[in-house]
Amino acid sequence: MDSISATERYRRGPLAVVRFLGLVLLGAVIGAIASLFAVGFVAAVLALNDLLLISPRSRMMFDHPGLLVAITIAVPTLGGLVVGLVHLAIPERRPHAPADVIAAVQTRRGRLPVRAGSLSALGALVSLGAGASVGQYGPLVHLGATLGSLGARLLRLGRSDDNITIACGVAAAIATAFNAPLAGIVFAHEVVLRHYALRAFAPVAAAALVGHVIATNVLERGALFHVADTAVPHPWEFVAFLAIGGLGALVAGAYMGTLLGVTRLAMRLTLPPPLRPALAGSLLGIAALWVPDILGMGQETLRFATIAGAFGSGELLLVLVLKIAATGLCLGMGFGGGVFSPALVIGTLFGALCGSLVGQFSGAPQETFVFYAVCGMVAVTAPVIGAPLTSLLIVFELTGSYALTTAALASVTLASPIAAQLFGHSLFDIQLESRGLDLSAGRGRAVLRSTPVVELLTEECVTLRPETPVAAAVTALCQARHGEGYLVDEQGRYLGCVGLADLEAAREATAGDLRVGGVVRLARSVLAPDTSLWDAMEVLQDVTGEALPVVDAEADDAFLGVVFESSIARAYLAHSDELRREEHGTG
Amino acid sequence: MLSWGGAYERAQQAALFAPYTAATGRPVAVEQYDGGLDELRRAVADGEVPWDLIDMTRSEAMAACEQGLLEPLSSSLLAPAPDGTPAEEDFLPDAFGRCAITHSVFATVVAYRTDAFPGRRPTVIGDLFDQRRFPGPRALQDTPAVNLEWALLSYRVPLEELYRLLSTRRGLDLALERLDELEEIQWWEAGDTPPRLLAEGKVVMASGYNGRFFDAMVNRGAPIAILWDGQVQEHETWVIPRGSPHPEAAREFLRFATTTERLADLARHIPYGPARRSAAVRVTTHAETGVDMRLHIPTHPLNAERALVKDETWYARTLARIQALFRDWRKSRESREPE
Repeated sequence: MDSISATERYRRGPLAVVRFLGLVLLGAVIGAIASLFAVGFVAAVLALNDLLLISPRSRMMFDHPGLLVAITIAVPTLGGLVVGLVHLAIPERRPHAPADVIAAVQTRRGRLPVRAGSLSALGALVSLGAGASVGQYGPLVHLGATLGSLGARLLRLGRSDDNITIACGVAAAIATAFNAPLAGIVFAHEVVLRHYALRAFAPVAAAALVGHVIATNVLERGALFHVADTAVPHPWEFVAFLAIGGLGALVAGAYMGTLLGVTRLAMRLTLPPPLRPALAGSLLGIAALWVPDILGMGQETLRFATIAGAFGSGELLLVLVLKIAATGLCLGMGFGGGVFSPALVIGTLFGALCGSLVGQFSGAPQETFVFYAVCGMVAVTAPVIGAPLTSLLIVFELTGSYALTTAALASVTLASPIAAQLFGHSLFDIQLESRGLDLSAGRGRAVLRSTPVVELLTEECVTLRPETPVAAAVTALCQARHGEGYLVDEQGRYLGCVGLADLEAAREATAGDLRVGGVVRLARSVLAPDTSLWDAMEVLQDVTGEALPVVDAEADDAFLGVVFESSIARAYLAHSDELRREEHGTG
Repeated sequence: MLSWGGAYERAQQAALFAPYTAATGRPVAVEQYDGGLDELRRAVADGEVPWDLIDMTRSEAMAACEQGLLEPLSSSLLAPAPDGTPAEEDFLPDAFGRCAITHSVFATVVAYRTDAFPGRRPTVIGDLFDQRRFPGPRALQDTPAVNLEWALLSYRVPLEELYRLLSTRRGLDLALERLDELEEIQWWEAGDTPPRLLAEGKVVMASGYNGRFFDAMVNRGAPIAILWDGQVQEHETWVIPRGSPHPEAAREFLRFATTTERLADLARHIPYGPARRSAAVRVTTHAETGVDMRLHIPTHPLNAERALVKDETWYARTLARIQALFRDWRKSRESREPE
């Protein structure tokens, strides 16, 4: 008990305050760097869009209709090819994304490789620049997180601290891109850290604030929506907003399903990986000749969807379905980019569709049209990224409208839980689950699941040959003060486990030259080297003994050593204690 | 010299032409036009250019420059500020084009009759299209420029995104749809028409140049007021047409007319923002009535809060197509109007 209170004392006091302030300062510095990178990234995407004739303005100013048709198909196709080649240089042969950030933080491995991070950012830049139907916020979040992780690595910080610096990079990226510092802070907590602690809050807030200051001074962007001051929804319309929430969850499900479905389909294609995004790009380009609204991030489409009468109902449905298909196609076939911006567009189109249908059936004037569009936007986006609070705050910070935020709240109330019940917590979690990381039972289990038991392996055990005389075995065990020995043959293969009591009994009963190989073996489960701490604990429930042998089945049952029951228990307690301190620590 | 006539030319006469003649003994002959490049194009093609200098909006100057209708100009011919600051540092950062030098910033604004809507006043540009709250005929310039911008702004889209949205078929359709909702539009071409239509009560709201409205309000006491929301700022430039008969004289006048003193004096006759900082801080009161001119200049912070800067690069490249679209729309509107 003394040692614990000493640690607690170390965690308080003036030195701890200095350490904590240093972390806050580091958060601000990482925030500044991540924010500048975000600004540069956004500017580069816009410049590429202008240069490659993807942005409406550049297309309008280009006065050669025939050539424009060719360019509309060629740019996404060639862009896809370049992206595919860039991704070949990443070890996993896929772009890293926010899901990787979440995995790094949730399993407390806190390291994001710089090479994969920068190549992913490059891939996303080309994808967005060439007009793929993907988002920019995912790459920005990952870029910010990678910078945060790099900062922690350069300063040789511990596991808890690097999780915080990653969250700082994420918060700054969101704060800069949306010019929404509160949303940045909440996103980092809600999606990445998934817990709330004062120790993390202050550095993350500092990073978001710096991002906000840089965004307001460098990026001059208009508010996402303008809401007429007079428009206040009728009470009955809140029922519609709730319904939009429920239905929005299904749209979110369709969106995520399409994306995952195309990803699975792409795996089965015989096409070489770099040609997959090229194929997707050419299909996108051809479709965009008829429906240009699906090209690129879709900021113009999103804006028009908030204006009553800009689209007809049929048109809204068409663009909605095509945008889901285009995004699924682009991301599933290997373009790099986020899922957030397309979700915003899809959701807004869906909300606009609901709004115009309500208008048609009720005959009411469409003064509150923008409310429907925003409700749809939040209802689809929140489940996809698993961040209801962030989505609400983005609406609040971008519109400054309390009425609009309240309406959005009505939609999120149903959308997020329904989607979570039907499909999962978020697209990121579903992706991670398919890669074997299940976050549904929380961080504790994820950490234990991702810690291999081999980390606790020891060779301090008694190994016995089958031909060893029982008497010699008893002596060896007694001298080593162990109650169990492990039978290993000449090739180092594991044959079983014998107990001291059984050996003693056998010696008493036979008094001859019985060998250890003839003694009854204990029923004892074995662990593989990659068995996780969590699975080892499950095994331990049915075992009474001092240790579990670790055997490598792939190397002809080679005996590697043992893991003591007590070390598993200690590791579990240590992990729990670290998590507890990280999640409840004050500074 | 080719200029715009009306109150603007009177101001130029007082602040530029008369002092120039007094200083050099050379008279300045002025012809009037309502903008547009057709005449200049014809003159250059025929090799008979009758003007040495033209006062031109920057968007048209950019288009004319691209079409090779203008002489290149260098900022080095401009005089420094009275304190010695070089012209490059004294002028607005984007005042120098390849063939044009900005001398003033003017705005196209909406003005309304103050007695037309008892108990209320238009406050936002969308009110131009709100005939329920602000009934009565409108006068609009017979060009797509500014009308399309205002029509799309009435959907409350942000200023920053305006030209991106206008670049889509959907944005153009929305803008034309909004213009179509106006029941009665009188189209004007010459800059002094809208103040006259307003003063005569033939329309209740009109678009027009802020200087002309100022002249009607202050010099002639017309019951009108300017709605600054959504004002479209544009640069007014000096250009020398290709094949000008006396290019050297033109350059000499240009240097004279863009000195700090002359620009500040011009702004005492007509409320256009001088393009050089040293002149902007010297703007005082109206030369005749003593009205504080600073409050009537489009670039004054109070007036410029929701000002749109005309995207002239966009217009330079798209004008022909946008004009064709606008003409088609006008034709279809006229064919629908009852005889």
